[in-house]
Amino acid sequence: MPGLDVMLEKLKILADSAKYDVSCSSSGADRTKTNKMGTAAVSGICHSWSADGRCISLLKILFSNRCVYDCEYCVNRRSADVQRASFEPEELAKLTIEFYKRNYIEGLFLSSAVEVSPDYTAERILKALSLLREKYGFSGYIHAKIIPGVSAELVRQIGMQADRLSVNIELPTKESLAILAPQKKAAGILTPMRQITNTMKEQKSLKGAGNRFSKLKQGNDYLLNGMALPTAVREQEAKYGMVPYDKGSLHRFAPAGQTTQMIIGATPESDRQIIRMSESLYKKFQMKRVYFSAYIPVVSSSKLPALLTPPPLLREHRLYQADWLLRFYGFSAEELLDEDSPFFDLELDPKVTWALRHLELFPLEINKVSMEELLRIPGVGNISAMRIVRQRRLGAVTFDDLKKIGVVVKRARYFITCNGKYYGAGDIASECIRERMLSQEKIRSGLLPREKEEQLSLFGSERRNLLYEPKEAARGLLV
Amino acid sequence: MDYLYDGSFEGFLCCIYAHYYKKRAEGIYPENHYQRTMLQPFFIVETEAEKAEKVYKAIQNKISNASLQRVYKAFLSNDIQKETKLLNYLVLGFRIGKKVDALHSETVVYQVQQLEHKVAAEQHRLLGLVRFSAIEGKKEKDKEKDKEKDISSDAGRHILYSAIEPDHNILELIADHFAQRFPEETFIMHDIKREKALFCQNGDWYLGHLRKELTYAVSEDELEYRKLWKKYFNSIAITERTNADCQKRCMPVRYWKNLTEFHSYP
Ligand code: SF4
Repeated sequence: MPGLDVMLEKLKILADSAKYDVSCSSSGADRTKTNKMGTAAVSGICHSWSADGRCISLLKILFSNRCVYDCEYCVNRRSADVQRASFEPEELAKLTIEFYKRNYIEGLFLSSAVEVSPDYTAERILKALSLLREKYGFSGYIHAKIIPGVSAELVRQIGMQADRLSVNIELPTKESLAILAPQKKAAGILTPMRQITNTMKEQKSLKGAGNRFSKLKQGNDYLLNGMALPTAVREQEAKYGMVPYDKGSLHRFAPAGQTTQMIIGATPESDRQIIRMSESLYKKFQMKRVYFSAYIPVVSSSKLPALLTPPPLLREHRLYQADWLLRFYGFSAEELLDEDSPFFDLELDPKVTWALRHLELFPLEINKVSMEELLRIPGVGNISAMRIVRQRRLGAVTFDDLKKIGVVVKRARYFITCNGKYYGAGDIASECIRERMLSQEKIRSGLLPREKEEQLSLFGSERRNLLYEPKEAARGLLV
Repeated sequence: MDYLYDGSFEGFLCCIYAHYYKKRAEGIYPENHYQRTMLQPFFIVETEAEKAEKVYKAIQNKISNASLQRVYKAFLSNDIQKETKLLNYLVLGFRIGKKVDALHSETVVYQVQQLEHKVAAEQHRLLGLVRFSAIEGKKEKDKEKDKEKDISSDAGRHILYSAIEPDHNILELIADHFAQRFPEETFIMHDIKREKALFCQNGDWYLGHLRKELTYAVSEDELEYRKLWKKYFNSIAITERTNADCQKRCMPVRYWKNLTEFHSYP
């Protein structure tokens, strides 16, 4: 190990460059195999919360930020003037195990810039992961990023060590990708994605996203906003087949599945394009999650939003809510946004937006409608819908029961009847409801004083910072 | 009539027994926290394993396993009314059976459910909000310590030590999680507030008494890892998104004093 000061410096540089990566989830892997140290908990555990209010679960870090690529939007691109550092595989393995032992972290989330070449970087990452697993006997959670263009054999070997893999799609369309990340080719991204999906299919561990209500079943060819695999690659794949998965091995290939990430707001795509893209990714590759990352301008470029443009955090939040609707509420992208209105209403959550555009379907009678219909009512979540159904067997659910069941009554009341009675006060005219919901929504975002009683959030775990402080950001960027 | 008991779960179950076989209880309280008044007569219930066992089985068989677990979890809460709330819950449960599990709209059920929910929430939260320090295996002076003797014989290797101060009595609820996580380590989790600790070695654990003040020497590189962790913690925050309210909402300040990242190191 080098001296403490060197390690502190490396840690600072490489954590700093990794922090815009959004995925923090550490759930979903069940690596029960007992080893020297570690379990991958089935439900995610947060170990701390950083000053920005985000949960720290994994040691989220870059292996290196010495990049040979020049992606327009990235702080670490080749032409940027920043401090550079790389870990040695042993350093990183030791750091991870020592942090884990002290219960600082739930596991490792390792990404990297392209140092020398995709394969060179991948080999060093593989070395670090093998040390961690074999020398230190670590069986906690590992999420590894696959750099576009890495060879199939390395993807396979990294997959045998990691619990989760992700290849970032980066941008919602082929055109944007060509402009902003010219060295990353759509094929270089989609090829490892497909390899990961196929390998999991082979070992029968491909689960995909969502719950039993989601409609993200596997389909054939979906439009990926122009990012289809070129035929040449398909043929090549068919010819060589998948790199075989080694059945005798103790390890399994990426048991926690595959995720990806898309940058929001750096390019002009509509919400509809973004949501349809993520639906396609769910269907085509059976992704576990598609993450969004509001673009924070870190570089000055004519191809990108100006430096002081606030990151579209509220938009990112709406997209996450919509993603939730795809995965757990049985909505499809097409239903949520059509060609005439390709953006979400920033002021309302997408479920309310949808309901207001379909008032003809409401009100729904709480004591009669199906589970699927209950899930479409704003203010009713998966758990409360399940509780309603369960309690209906014992007797009619009354309006007063709804709150105890966990329904956000203030929101739901406009869309339901309970034992035939409507509690929405007045008629169900779209504008008037919108007005009232809007003032509630503002309260929720902290723009208006909050009422004493805490509201149950419909999207509890996805709730994040909605208030953006332009001054703060400006300071952060100028210094 | 108020029933007083020794504060153990078994003792509480014996109060339920007495409620049915002796005299109706209006309230149940641990004897060391009870405010005696002239107006309310009270009775001290002896803890007897046999009676406790009977009530335990009765809850399991006549109500449900889910309710038994709920009662146990709620019992670990720090709510001063918990015993009385649990009494009301069990009375209803013995009357209507398994149905009580899902009767969310009934106040008696709702109250116990809230207790259970709070305990479970803290249980989950503490899985993350525990920080271990590597300390020297050989104890310097605490030789008189009763049971952890066999731990100090483990000289040369370090021990992991953590101090926690949870609101609820959740130590035993998180024991298995950590025992599985560190199958080859020796570790102590010390609930300072309640002066008890979880001692774990090679995956086996037990609970014992451990007084508040302890002296121990941290191992050589402990300070380095604390500094590295703190550096990481500070570097990972995105300045543009600073949101102290959100941070405090997710991780209430009362937990901070036992968290490595909030201390300063020379
Ligand atoms: S490959 Fe592109 S996005 Fe990744 S570190 Fe290099 S420049 Fe940044």
